[in-house]
Amino acid sequence: MADLTGIPTMNHLTTARIAPQVTRSHWLAPLAPRSRFSLRAAPQVLALAGAAFGVAPSEQACRAVVQGTRAALWLSPDEQLLLGLEADTASIQADLHAALGKAAYSLVDVSHRQTALEISGPNAADILNGASPLDLSLAAFPVGMCTRTLLDKADIILWRTQHDVFHIEVWRSFTDYVTGLLSVIAREYES
Amino acid sequence: MRPPASRLLAPRYSALSLLRARLSREYWQPLWRRSTPQEHYDVVVVGGGGHGLATAYHLARDHGIKRIAVLEKKVIGYGNVGRNTTIVRSNYLLPENHYFYEDSLRRYETLSHDLNYNVMYSPRGVVDLANSDDEMVGLARRGNAMRLAGIDAELMDRQGLMKYAPVLDPTLPRRYPIVGGLVQKRGGTVRHDAVAWGYARAAAALGVDIIEHCEVTGLQTTAGIATAVETTRGPIKADRIVFAVAGHTGHIGAMLGVPLPVETHLLQAMVTEPIKPLLHTVLIYMYGHSEVYMAQSDRGGLVMGGTLDGFPSFAREPLWHRLEEVVQSAVAMLPQVAGIKILRHWAGTNDQTMDGSPLIDRLRYENVFLNGGWCYGGFKAIPASGAACARLVASGRAPDLIKGFNLSRFATGHVLDEKGAGPFPVRQ
Amino acid sequence: MLLIQCPYCGPRPELEFAYGGQAHIARPLKPADLNDDEWAAFLYMRVNTKGVHAERWRHARGCNRFFNALRDTTTDHFLAVYKTGEARPALNTAGGHS
Repeated sequence: MADLTGIPTMNHLTTARIAPQVTRSHWLAPLAPRSRFSLRAAPQVLALAGAAFGVAPSEQACRAVVQGTRAALWLSPDEQLLLGLEADTASIQADLHAALGKAAYSLVDVSHRQTALEISGPNAADILNGASPLDLSLAAFPVGMCTRTLLDKADIILWRTQHDVFHIEVWRSFTDYVTGLLSVIAREYES
Repeated sequence: MRPPASRLLAPRYSALSLLRARLSREYWQPLWRRSTPQEHYDVVVVGGGGHGLATAYHLARDHGIKRIAVLEKKVIGYGNVGRNTTIVRSNYLLPENHYFYEDSLRRYETLSHDLNYNVMYSPRGVVDLANSDDEMVGLARRGNAMRLAGIDAELMDRQGLMKYAPVLDPTLPRRYPIVGGLVQKRGGTVRHDAVAWGYARAAAALGVDIIEHCEVTGLQTTAGIATAVETTRGPIKADRIVFAVAGHTGHIGAMLGVPLPVETHLLQAMVTEPIKPLLHTVLIYMYGHSEVYMAQSDRGGLVMGGTLDGFPSFAREPLWHRLEEVVQSAVAMLPQVAGIKILRHWAGTNDQTMDGSPLIDRLRYENVFLNGGWCYGGFKAIPASGAACARLVASGRAPDLIKGFNLSRFATGHVLDEKGAGPFPVRQ
Repeated sequence: MLLIQCPYCGPRPELEFAYGGQAHIARPLKPADLNDDEWAAFLYMRVNTKGVHAERWRHARGCNRFFNALRDTTTDHFLAVYKTGEARPALNTAGGHS
């Protein structure tokens, strides 16, 4: 094999967690790294995975289920985003592979693909609506609802965790764009 | 090629006619006479847009056909001939397209004289901007194909662009940078309404009946021959029938029982408030998956357009988010226009074909012809389309210039897929 | 902006959707058995209805599912949505737009 000394390996790249710098403010907070899995499978296989993961995935569309340190977010009838502690990444992966065995499924570790942000405060929904046409009233977008959507030009996953707290999953390279955009919008609400 | 003065029913425009009109105080004359449908015509042209009027004009002027009617559902100038962004160019890659559009551009160069009507042809140049070195390679390929066909094309790097279009600073940091461009200096703009009015006036002067508010609802046939069109103003007999109905081409197919490779999509355009002269050329800029093309009208407004709205529609209600994309692209290209207000915003119905190239061919019956499928390219094609379609209708044989635009190409595989996009009128 | 009813996610802004072409065009099981005209009809010919049009949409920036819709192309009103594989629903013609 050729001498690869000095060339960074994939392993080196993926373990270097260089998160984009997001400045914490009273309404915006970067969230700690965590493990993330994209799981795609038929509903009955998803249920099987839920038992191993410790969170029964929602059968209702656009809903997140939280159990302890873990969450399963409905993205599509056959797609869930699984969130857990960063330290559990390897064990989650091993447990799911063991439980699903020969079933048809796709489990991809996307921990490093995304970063997470939290938007909170009385103006959280208004700030998001500066770049999203979704109806974010509590009737249309209740606590526990999650969805993949567009924030201006960026694909995000939006999850209302509390009445005035939203969790955003955004692809790493779009983080600066999304935080910059939201910061511009938020100026309108600064007194 | 100019018609002899004796055949004109309306006076020729000249300095003398202007003076005479001023003295006689009879300046404001209708440009063409209003007609009521006759019982029978040699040729009935369905659709009073640019292509229908130009076809009728050439049938009368070049082929001596006497009894011609143009039937228009609404009024002359209501459709795409009055809704486009007035750009004319012939910078196409495929030979079938660039020879045809070059013929059209040459006719535009002399159209004001031919029609005796000022269509305000302005060869201000058309610049296709490139975002990357790869796109420069693509533009070089297109430019070389054009030059081999004797069409002017010039590839410019950033320095060349700065000299040619000082309004544009290609060195500004942009999400999609500008590294160069392909310029066709003979391209430019033509006043779109004037093209409709000029052809209508010249055709009427040659004896063509222009009949507005007359919608065709059906076709009468016997033994494989069409005999008449049914209209909202009664049946009109015709020896030959030409359909030039742009966005409504699809349901002409349905009316005749011929499936067509056409979908009707909305294309929108907009114009800003007038400003002092800023942009002396036409700029075309791809911005990610969106696009802007921009020219400044003689009144000073910046006329802009972008990509299709994205799904078939006849609603003529343009999408707001597409407007936003066009404006974003425009501001990325020329940041100095950011504060200007949009005055008007509208849409036209485009007959998008599955390969992006037009259709001029017989349609099911020996004496029925289709002139359509113009996609984005309708306005700049009008003079060539009218002349070539008239030859097809008069002689029964398609001239070489439009042989490639036949309907059978979709079965034989000789599609003219200028963009290499595959069988989709719109890509997302 | 149009609100489009995703059969999975409910009413969502048009921005999240991509048009997917005329619905109910079945890919020939044995393309080699088709003659040129039949293949051209499958690949290129479209109904282009002015009126109620059955078409495919994809919730591309949401659940990413294809589904079918009936839309009036003269008004852009969506009259019905249904899942891929389901038959085209009958419309209450007297009822007009939903």
